Amino acid sequence: MGEFRRAGRGLINKDNPVHFSFDCKTYQGYEGDTIASALLANGVHLMGRSFKYHRPRGPVGSGFEEPNALVTVTRGKGRMTSNLRATTMEIYSGMEASSQNRWPSLGFDAGAFNNTFSMFFPAGFYNKTFMWPKSFWDKVYEPFIRNMAGLGPAPTEVDADVYGSVYGHCDVLIVGSGPAGLAAAIAAAKKDQSVILVDENAELGGSLNSSPSVVIDGKPASEWRHKTLKALSKASNVTLMARTTAVGYYHDDFVGLSERLTDHLPILEGNQIREKLHRIRAGKVILAQGAIERPLVFDGNDKPGVMLASAAQDYLNVYGVAVGKEAVVFTSHDSAYTAAFELADANIRIAAIVDARIYIPTSLITMASDRGIDVHVGKVLSGTSGKKRVSSAEIYDPTSGAKETIKCDSVLMCGGWTPSLHLWSHSKGSIKWDAETGVYLPDVANENCVSIGASNGDFGFKAALDAGSKIGGGRKTYTVEEPIFGTGEVFSSLPSYKKSSKQKAFVDFQNDVTEKDIKLAVREGFRSIEHVKRYTTNGMATDQGKTSNLNALEIASKALGKEAPQVGLTTFRPPYTPTTFGAFCGYKMDDLFEVTRKTPIDAWAEQQRAVFEPVGVWRRAWYFPKAGEDMHTAVARECKATRDSLGMFDASTLGKIEVVGPDAAKFMNKMYTNPWGSLKVGAARYGLMCREDGYIYDDGVVGRIAEDRFHVTTTTGGAPRVYRHMEDYLQTEFPELDVWLTSTTEHWAVIALNGPNARKLIEPFVEGIDLSPEAFPHMNVREGKIFGLPTRLFRVSFSGELGFEVNVPAQYGKAVWEALYEAGQQYDITPYGTETMHVLRAEKGFIIVGQDTDGTVTPQDAGMSWIVSKKKKDFVGKRSLARPDLTADGRKHLIGLLTEDSNVVLEEGAHIVADPNQPIPMDMLGHVTSSYWSESLGTSVAMALVKDGFKRMDETLYIPMGGGIVHKAKVVKPVFYDPKGERLNVV
Amino acid sequence: MSYDMKIDLGVEIPEVLQSGPVTAELLGEKVRLSLRVKSADRTVVAKALGLTLPAKIGVASTKADLMTACLGPDEWIVIGETDKHAGLYEKAHKLSTKYVMSVTDVSYRNIGVVLTGQAAAEMVNVGCPLDLCLEAFPVGKCTRTVYEASPILLHRTGEDSFVMECWRSFAPYMIGLMAAHARGGFRSN
Repeated sequence: MGEFRRAGRGLINKDNPVHFSFDCKTYQGYEGDTIASALLANGVHLMGRSFKYHRPRGPVGSGFEEPNALVTVTRGKGRMTSNLRATTMEIYSGMEASSQNRWPSLGFDAGAFNNTFSMFFPAGFYNKTFMWPKSFWDKVYEPFIRNMAGLGPAPTEVDADVYGSVYGHCDVLIVGSGPAGLAAAIAAAKKDQSVILVDENAELGGSLNSSPSVVIDGKPASEWRHKTLKALSKASNVTLMARTTAVGYYHDDFVGLSERLTDHLPILEGNQIREKLHRIRAGKVILAQGAIERPLVFDGNDKPGVMLASAAQDYLNVYGVAVGKEAVVFTSHDSAYTAAFELADANIRIAAIVDARIYIPTSLITMASDRGIDVHVGKVLSGTSGKKRVSSAEIYDPTSGAKETIKCDSVLMCGGWTPSLHLWSHSKGSIKWDAETGVYLPDVANENCVSIGASNGDFGFKAALDAGSKIGGGRKTYTVEEPIFGTGEVFSSLPSYKKSSKQKAFVDFQNDVTEKDIKLAVREGFRSIEHVKRYTTNGMATDQGKTSNLNALEIASKALGKEAPQVGLTTFRPPYTPTTFGAFCGYKMDDLFEVTRKTPIDAWAEQQRAVFEPVGVWRRAWYFPKAGEDMHTAVARECKATRDSLGMFDASTLGKIEVVGPDAAKFMNKMYTNPWGSLKVGAARYGLMCREDGYIYDDGVVGRIAEDRFHVTTTTGGAPRVYRHMEDYLQTEFPELDVWLTSTTEHWAVIALNGPNARKLIEPFVEGIDLSPEAFPHMNVREGKIFGLPTRLFRVSFSGELGFEVNVPAQYGKAVWEALYEAGQQYDITPYGTETMHVLRAEKGFIIVGQDTDGTVTPQDAGMSWIVSKKKKDFVGKRSLARPDLTADGRKHLIGLLTEDSNVVLEEGAHIVADPNQPIPMDMLGHVTSSYWSESLGTSVAMALVKDGFKRMDETLYIPMGGGIVHKAKVVKPVFYDPKGERLNVV
Repeated sequence: MSYDMKIDLGVEIPEVLQSGPVTAELLGEKVRLSLRVKSADRTVVAKALGLTLPAKIGVASTKADLMTACLGPDEWIVIGETDKHAGLYEKAHKLSTKYVMSVTDVSYRNIGVVLTGQAAAEMVNVGCPLDLCLEAFPVGKCTRTVYEASPILLHRTGEDSFVMECWRSFAPYMIGLMAAHARGGFRSN
């Protein structure tokens, strides 16, 4: 055992030595050690370089509040994590850890020249300096600053780990497993409540692990903890979760718990989940998060070896590690004396206790002198020396002006305690300022939440235990022997003989914010702590100012001459501690990142090596390239084959809504612009739907299956919103109608057959439907059978060719498709995808809602006045369509464009102008909405929204493309192919 | 009534869900009807159809192989064996001329997964935020809810068994999440 280990102390397993490396050097620690405790046990305090000045830094704390000791741990390819707190990362055999923000090495860091010139880098330096020239920002300043100032590197490889997430519920969620949390858990468990108790540390117990002199109900604290945990782990209604951080507190007592499962284990094979996010809905939340000790702000308070007194206590009691051989304790609070005495009792020489206060309980002074420790009353530390480790401290007496240098290898500071309000604040509980202790405390809860123990300002073991018992529903009071926690005094600024500008007195260690930076911010006019924070970056680092916020507030409020509550408190936001993206993703990675909806026929298309495109959350076959074909040739072939003979298309994604009930036709009349009462059973009609504002919302073919039953189809992407829109109107505007809506999108697979041979293909397989043109004309629907399966067969065309849409039960869709494909070989049946579908419809001038319309196009604008009923008394959008601005001149109309050079396919979205020679900015007339090469016509065709387009027939317009290229195009009617529609009726 | 053509559910249960503290099984072909009835006609329609139509939202009734659940103020889902209940749609359809009601065949819209085993509730909670303790979600409860991004129908058929149904195209996602959780390990293990 090394010279800094202390036998008989700590929760570490001394039978299990663990070897790990830090900056390529191997060290030995024990199972249960953190990187920090193991390095300290090896006499290493230097663990990192600071963010801005690259100053040497060691750990300040012993837990999750740690601002300084950030490290990178690599666990193999894709498993590098930076900015981990060395104070919480448990070591395992073979661990590879390294320091950050230094080059070439931690010991010698070239970036430290920033420190030498730090007087030139005050708060706001970057904002003020790197203003000119503007063009330098992106290429010079920002990359340089990002390189120089910074934390660990961002990973460049894909994360190889897997993560999980699950929902959970409990009656009582307790955050923090110190005395308050454990007492609450025991009490709640006895009341048969379901309890979840979480703690961010590896060992449950909180301060019980670090208080050897405390006796609870006649047992040493450690024994009481052990017994209590044993009882809790046996209770079936209690879940204990170590290494689990409550990262955020959301509405209705919903709390996110991030559980770390593998980071502390040797590198494992297989797929163990690294972190799991538990999303817990709690009946009640008990916050027992404790308090964080506050550093003192004095010159040189950031040297390695300077740390919180409680941290030194933790290292000794939890890990059996002495942080040094001789320490100076600098305090303004009684609690540091306990730390000093425990260290002294463990053979760490306390060179002096320097107490900034004048009045100190005499009992403490007596206890100190019993141990031979000098107490310097009313004095402060005015500086420290040592480069990579503190080597001495300077004691300054502000009354006499006397100075004394005292040798030490560590300085333990205590500026009081800050109750942890983080989760309380997430839950929007209000807080109140306690002037006496200089802290904010929980005031009125906003959720079913209560804060107890030190996080509520009730310090001491007995207070915590009794509060826990009471809040947990018990009546037990505990008998406790404990050292007096005592009181303290808050010093916003400590006296010094040095000029403020000559001091490096750090407030925020992680972001390198000093006392003078905060004062500078106030001098420069910042009045609110929120603004001071943003100007100085105090509290904006990854630790969210856990050790710095209150000190910054005290300094700012004193500089402003205002009370702290008038200056404010910065807002705490989730997550409480840095949380991996993996934990937030859970299982939703790769294939599960989002839902990809696939049709029943998708597997066939995949086999045929179709190229797919996303359409909303669906993936659809885009085109079916044959060997050597690019998209252009494949689409040209598919179009030609369809027009010449027969194409087949998977239209299963079309939204389908069954509208059923005695008032079905009435409802349809209200939802669509055109009339439905006259539609005969067995007939189908194209329907156009507007929103309340008169703009086109959706369209689709609707078949009347029975007097009281319509089979409505919608666009693929529009299905959910159309259903919602209909249901919304039905429930709120037309509740008197007896009609019901059911989504049947996924009940049916839909195979669209288009081309002159479409009828011939299906004829042999259809039963119970007369397919003859006379009996089954265009725009009709019949029910019958195909291949023995029930079908709703539509005669409909989105291509201009003879067309049928075969609806069959979804789970038979693939079998029917395959049977039709096989039977269609005699007609050279050609499967086609969405691109060909788009070309075929554009040749006919059929619009696609969302492509040729953009939410500001009325039926009139789209040239579809013919579909707006003038007889109907009302329909959704009718009133708006009569608004003067929707009928005024100057609106954009949907027209066709034929380019002068028929080989030019215009770019969709390209702007259209009347005069390309007009100086920029030119008057824009509109833009191209659809544009394709038409193989059938041997020319490109396009549709566009153009101002007053209907009045511009035969006009030539211009489409400037940049680089001097200007295309010319003629305005035409947007029907390019078979304008009379004769091909629909091919026999 | 099955058909001669080959049925394709489009999804399979991965091996990891075939054994362990919870197993998953796909429901085969089923009759599924969405039944909407004005509340005044509930009892007569139920009688005429030979069905139980629970009055309370969220309550399911299982009679022989036929499950009916009340999902909304005037909404029931009916799920049963295809071969035995092929005529149910026609029967309900005929009834709709007499009563203010509607019936829609949604037999092929859903994929059903049966979860059985002591970790069944945990598996449901992987994607469903509802409280599944027996007091809050007793055996026989049936409700529409979500499984992460997938809307689902959740029916508790026993203390340790659930049926989850989602729309066909959401099934790979729903089952994929279950498999990911099974691979990662259960809480109770």
